[in-house]
Amino acid sequence: MIFVTGPLFAGKRDYVRAALGWTEEELSRRAVWDVQEQAGAAEDLEALAERLARYEVVIATEVGGGVVPVDTEQRRNREAAGRLACLLARRADTVVRVCCGLPQLLKGTWP
Amino acid sequence: MFTLVIGGAASGKSEFAERHAASLPGGRVYLATMEPWDDECRARIAKHRLARAHRGFATVERYTDLAGASLPAGGSVLLECMSNLVANELYAPGGGGADAAVRGVETLLTRCAHLTVVTNEVFSGGRDYAGGTLRYLETLARVNRILALRADLAVEVVCGIPNVLKGAYP
Repeated sequence: MIFVTGPLFAGKRDYVRAALGWTEEELSRRAVWDVQEQAGAAEDLEALAERLARYEVVIATEVGGGVVPVDTEQRRNREAAGRLACLLARRADTVVRVCCGLPQLLKGTWP
Repeated sequence: MFTLVIGGAASGKSEFAERHAASLPGGRVYLATMEPWDDECRARIAKHRLARAHRGFATVERYTDLAGASLPAGGSVLLECMSNLVANELYAPGGGGADAAVRGVETLLTRCAHLTVVTNEVFSGGRDYAGGTLRYLETLARVNRILALRADLAVEVVCGIPNVLKGAYP
């Protein structure tokens, strides 16, 4: 599994399509994105990571880099999103972070 | 060796820093800066204590004035974390301001053989914050830059993976 992360609107999906030569249709079938939004509601993050890792590509937006939110639930969701990203990175063969459309290899070899 | 570790919320920075500090020679001290002022803090502290229980750190709690902490000479000290320490120095009664936080780190550097400092990436959420928060961000960022300048190794942790910003990670 290839795990792709990076800030909001950084070009993560465009990168995946270009790097793997996928069409939009292939992307929606073989990849899953915005997985950070599933973290907060998950009872079991390990199980969620396990399920997501069956996709060829998993994409998560980094959300932990701002000021710690005052709202308890927002704080909890952000924390869960970070944990999920760590669990996915551990399961991934390759981890790429995309920033301003530019990919940086964090783990494994370039796809 | 002086190492600075930065990362966002739940980025895996603590685990990385603990592993790194524990890999360095000498006695291990965990210098904790979070004041347990509510249940959430206490739960967080308990979680971190459990996570590092097997790594053989002696925990020393110190919320301000690091120079006053009694630490064994030499050894590997892990300070977690700068964002709490700076907030404490700025806002807690008896705090000495941001410069006191920097001076505290400088004192630690003269006392221990290896210092690992954890700090927080809290600067990617824009600047749409009330004056006090923005001032805090600016102050913490300045402290981070001073420490990074002094550090032998600076590492940003992204989803548990070290991304080396300065120096070489073995």
